[in-house]
Amino acid sequence: MHDLLEVKGLSKTFRVKSGDVTAVDKVNLRARKGEVTVILGPSGSGKTTLLYLIGSLESPDAGEIDAFGENICRAGADLIEYRRKRVGFVFQSFNLITALTALENVVLPMDLVGVPTAQAHERAMELLARMGIDGRLQKAKANKMSGGEKQRVAIARALANNPDIILADEPTGNLDSATGKVVVDILVNLARNDSKCVIIVTHDDGILDAADWAYRMEDGKLEGADLSA
Amino acid sequence: MRSVKRGFKSFRRHPLRNLIVILLLFVCLSFSLSMLAVKLAADNQVEEVKRSVGNYAEVKVSSDYRMAVFEEERSQRESERAARARTMTAEELAEQRTRFLVPEELTDAFSRQSEIIAYDKVLETTVNLSNVKNVQLETMLSMRQRGPQGEGPAALSSSSFTFEGNTNGASASDFLLGNKVLVEGSFYTYDDYLKKNPVVLIEKTLAEENELGMGDTITAAISGKSGSSAKMQLKIVGIYETVQAEQQEGGSNTETFNPMGEVFYAPLSVVQELNNTPGYVSLGSYYFDNVDSTGKLQQYFETEVADGDKYELATDLADFETISDPLQKVSKTSTIGLAGALGACALIILLAMGIIIGGRTRELGVLKAIGATDRQVMAQYAVEVVCICLVAVILAMGVTALISQSMGDWLMGESKSTATAGEEQQAQSQGPGQFMGGLAGGDKLYKEGGRFSVASIERQPLDLNVVYQGSLFLYGILILLGISLLGMIVPVVWIVRLRPARVLSME
Repeated sequence: MHDLLEVKGLSKTFRVKSGDVTAVDKVNLRARKGEVTVILGPSGSGKTTLLYLIGSLESPDAGEIDAFGENICRAGADLIEYRRKRVGFVFQSFNLITALTALENVVLPMDLVGVPTAQAHERAMELLARMGIDGRLQKAKANKMSGGEKQRVAIARALANNPDIILADEPTGNLDSATGKVVVDILVNLARNDSKCVIIVTHDDGILDAADWAYRMEDGKLEGADLSA
Repeated sequence: MRSVKRGFKSFRRHPLRNLIVILLLFVCLSFSLSMLAVKLAADNQVEEVKRSVGNYAEVKVSSDYRMAVFEEERSQRESERAARARTMTAEELAEQRTRFLVPEELTDAFSRQSEIIAYDKVLETTVNLSNVKNVQLETMLSMRQRGPQGEGPAALSSSSFTFEGNTNGASASDFLLGNKVLVEGSFYTYDDYLKKNPVVLIEKTLAEENELGMGDTITAAISGKSGSSAKMQLKIVGIYETVQAEQQEGGSNTETFNPMGEVFYAPLSVVQELNNTPGYVSLGSYYFDNVDSTGKLQQYFETEVADGDKYELATDLADFETISDPLQKVSKTSTIGLAGALGACALIILLAMGIIIGGRTRELGVLKAIGATDRQVMAQYAVEVVCICLVAVILAMGVTALISQSMGDWLMGESKSTATAGEEQQAQSQGPGQFMGGLAGGDKLYKEGGRFSVASIERQPLDLNVVYQGSLFLYGILILLGISLLGMIVPVVWIVRLRPARVLSME
């Protein structure tokens, strides 16, 4: 099944002053291309850690992640290549490089993998236009933009290298409800129209309406249900 | 290449921040490079001085020994001395003649030291010439005789001349120094010395006054001999002019009086024969590799040659120290200044990069999260650091060209005033007797020229000439690389240790 992202028995424990904290505890999860998977849970439940484990920003203590036929937890897995071409991140606080323009932020991931500059600019402009960031706004510095604009630029950046997986960490957390709805619609459209595997972690129940699969996470443990029916 | 472009763009995107860092670095680097320029100039000048001063020594009878002999003779009454002279054997007379001379085998043995690169031996003596008169001296003596003070000094005679013998005419110190210049004929050679060829160089005025020219012969009396074997015919092979005497003439209004005119130059073996002291010389003259060998040669001399305190090894180490001490002090001071300023540069770049990176941690996390390798991020930051340092170094090198000479002059002024104070203190502690001894020229070295030549200008401390050298440019590049590498330590450590998940989780 090469359209399936499968997480099996994934665990991650952090050592802190007060002792060990298990952020992710033997988590099993499935997500498919073309579907939106929502992981719901309160702050500190471990959902962001799970997202970072899937995106290879953290390494698990145990378990496996099979990303469309490739086990990224095996020794020797090319995590840089995985991060560059298979995964796109969308963060709650956008994490744009503020000194760069919107266009430059979107060009950056392509620049890192060696896409020719002209081609990268063309694709970046196309992605930004698709996200509703046109003309003058593309040349604006990221720190001069509104929250909604920043998040749309962040989504465009996540799509720059056409990854299979979009990992969105509280994408509406810093946005008003109307703007948040626009951003969620964009993410849903990416799953539906572009066959992306979209995983959203949030504590906002309102996003559940857009979910094909929903999981609830608490104290590092995951419980889930198929909502597509 | 893309990382380089990103780094350069990033450098251009933060002009104010970079300007502050560049300004701080520029100030410290200007000081560092100026100190470096001064140090290089001072070291170069010391090396230059080493090539010409401090590498000379001569073996001769010590002044202490001479004084002891004089004291002994003074302790005898005139009648005792006359009686002793009358009863002297031939051996004793020979010993008397050579008591202030050095055996040639001794000077030859010393010349075999590996540090010696040039060797000459010199004998200076007074010779009576039967067909040459010092006309000017004769006039002067006759005027004194006619004057109220009666007769002139007995030692002065218009037919007695100083003869200086060495192994090669061209290497006689007066000719090397340019005090005297050959204007006609040629120098006697080493071959003339070996074959005892009776040839001689004569002063131009003296030759003209006695109507002598090239190829003419003069008759010299051999000391301590009588009869037909007591004369030697010397052929004139060269005529020289006394440059220094002409200069004295112009400055002192002494008309044509030329005290140096009486000196004749001849092969050493000929002068030895005229002096009746074969195998003996006044001094052995040596040039060795450099001043650093002085100690070794001195030690060898004291253990193998000195023969108690009879002989001494006189060197121009004091001249070297007089000239080089201020330069060496400047070199040391500038080294300390250089080290301090470079330390400040290091501190500035480390702090600046710490602050810069600290403010861009999230950017680093984002770069790593979107797939930048550590190498790509490092390259980007390296370019930023190099750009900052490069601008600062270029500006500093420009300013160095303007201020380094002033810095050098200031440091040299400080060193000279310290040295002068030290010398004055030393002079006071030595007392007037020694000071007068110095003026009398008793310690004058053969390489400094004849008895009438002025003291060498090399004794004066030099001015520091800070020229903008190519090596300074190379050192500038090295400093640029050094501070850039140092500046890279901070980002490298951050980049390697940075966990993007942690950084991106921070709100």
